[in-house]
Amino acid sequence: MKILIVEDEPKTVAYLRKGLTEQGYSVDFVGDGEDGLHLAQTLDYDAIVLDGMLPGLDGVAMLERLRQTRQTPVIMLTARDSVDDRLRGLGAGADDYLVKPFSFLELLARLQAITRRGRGEATTITVGDLHLDLLARRATRAGRRLNLTAKEFALLAVLGRRQSQIVSKTIITELVWDINFDTNTNVVEVAIKRLRAKIDGMFETKLLHTVRGMGYVLEHRPDGSPE
Amino acid sequence: MTPASIAPKSIAGRLALMFAIATTLVSVLAGVAIFGFQSLELRRHQAEELNARMEIIDAMIRHAGDPKRWPMLGDKLESFTPANGGVRYRVDCPDARFRFAPDDALARARDGVDLIHFDGRRYMTLTRRVPPYLERPEVRLVIAADTAPFDASRKVLGVGVLAVSLVTIALVSLLGWWVARKGLAPVDRLSQRARALNPNDLGLRMPTQNLPTELVGLMTAFNGALDRLQDAYERLASFNADVAHELRTPLGNLIGQTQVALSRPRDTGELEEVLHSNLEELDRLRCIINDMLFMARADQGALAANLEPVSLAGLTHKTADFLDVLFEDAGVRLEVVGDGMVAADASLLGRAVTNLLDNAIRHGVDCKTVRVTIEPQDGKVCLGVRNRGGPIPEAHLARLFDRFYRLDRAREHSHDVHGLGLAVVKAIVTMHGGTVFARCEDGEVLIGFVLPGGTVASGEPQEPTVRRIEPVQA
Repeated sequence: MKILIVEDEPKTVAYLRKGLTEQGYSVDFVGDGEDGLHLAQTLDYDAIVLDGMLPGLDGVAMLERLRQTRQTPVIMLTARDSVDDRLRGLGAGADDYLVKPFSFLELLARLQAITRRGRGEATTITVGDLHLDLLARRATRAGRRLNLTAKEFALLAVLGRRQSQIVSKTIITELVWDINFDTNTNVVEVAIKRLRAKIDGMFETKLLHTVRGMGYVLEHRPDGSPE
Repeated sequence: MTPASIAPKSIAGRLALMFAIATTLVSVLAGVAIFGFQSLELRRHQAEELNARMEIIDAMIRHAGDPKRWPMLGDKLESFTPANGGVRYRVDCPDARFRFAPDDALARARDGVDLIHFDGRRYMTLTRRVPPYLERPEVRLVIAADTAPFDASRKVLGVGVLAVSLVTIALVSLLGWWVARKGLAPVDRLSQRARALNPNDLGLRMPTQNLPTELVGLMTAFNGALDRLQDAYERLASFNADVAHELRTPLGNLIGQTQVALSRPRDTGELEEVLHSNLEELDRLRCIINDMLFMARADQGALAANLEPVSLAGLTHKTADFLDVLFEDAGVRLEVVGDGMVAADASLLGRAVTNLLDNAIRHGVDCKTVRVTIEPQDGKVCLGVRNRGGPIPEAHLARLFDRFYRLDRAREHSHDVHGLGLAVVKAIVTMHGGTVFARCEDGEVLIGFVLPGGTVASGEPQEPTVRRIEPVQA
């Protein structure tokens, strides 16, 4: 999976590069629009992460020119929380946008979404001794049926589909409840607490882990390492 | 009068100019009339004088029919003629014996009253024919009087009228300017007072005592505007302080715990713990900053785009679905009564409703039910969220929607609440052209918003849709 980052802020580039490389992406980066356009037109990338404010050729202008020849998926990063910028970006052909300051996990999730990666069409998921049947909407652990509500099952499925990946609260809110704004509520925490009681409560090996400040992971950790 | 004061921009100048124009018009009319009447009067006077002379001379020659006596009459006429030639006589007769003709020019005078010029002078003449008597045939008698004394009188009169007019115009203009200045003196005083207004003394107000009635209304309105400005200014100032405070706490934590972590070698686990904690603080900062930016946009008058028809009851149910676990945990059930359609950005309005419901759950006291009522109100749609709680003093109610405003100062550092929930509601509602409200009624707190337009989904009163919270499964 090859990603091009067009961004002029060195610290942002450094952490994006590191984070994405560790996630298994092969990452190129350039600091201005002209070079970005040249690379994007000559090499085949699976996705481009494009800053809206660039020296020289700005993000939107670069995207407009790129779209004349190529349809590479593009995620725009906009510093200004302004509707105009977003609309301009989307109008120019961006597939998605993120408003700075954005969370790395969210970028990762959106990259996965637009590159169709990690979207297993599997109908069953297994995490350790936990089994999910997505068609029958049944969950069992160690052979015992778990009594989950519809939302709890949806939450478990969202985590199961991304097993071993950190899933942020924002993404959970969006995928489980179809709510796409910051809510400042602790709904996700409470829902996770309940789900955890049901799937991990009576078992020695915990599967649902909290990553403080980031989100949650559904993962079988055989060594029983602490959260 | 300085040129600036005559400039049309100054009211005093303008009034003075108008006085001057009015006075000039009146003076010119009066002057012309006086001069005209006086001239006519002088003319009449002169004619009368001529007439008197005429009667005398007429009487003298009417019964003089003897040619022998005629030279004596000529001598008399000669003696009547002054040396300066101011008055002249002539008697014309076909018979040369009855003539007296020192000046030929007088022969030009027509019968009755006439004006003739000769010797470089102007004469008014009166001519009469005297019927024949005895030997004497009919004679034509001409009396001429120099008009110079009367012309001089007219000239003096004209100059006088003109001078009086000019002085009147000047005086009235000056007086007008003075009167206007006097009349407008309160305005000057107000200007001076207004110049003293400044941000360091926000309490300063314009005087409303001892003012002309025309200015009292204006000044009262002006003071009202000052009140609102002061309020906004003070809110902004305290808001800035609040922002600094809100940001300082997480920043202080970040700096402190990072310094502590780095002050001695630590194992990975400990460092990870610090990073996680930092991340939580940073996320809190991000939320605050995003909300602040959002509200700044609303303040700048940004309006919601992407409007679509939204059912408020539907939106409330969707939001309640999301907040389900919070309702359960608090042991509160939700009741939604009525419905209404509005044109809104569903995602933004959803956020507003989420915050309202979350607020109701969080701040309810001994509250078993949160009731949402949606009803039409004068072509608008009103959504109110009602819960047991309060009472909240009036002063607090008004400030509930302020940023960082908390009823309960003790909860200030609670992690869940950053005090922007209702402020965000207000921003969203403002972006949809609506207004927010908060009231206390019968031990219940009612908080909500009114949005414009939208058609009511159903005219029929609806049965409350009650969501029963299932018991938490063990």
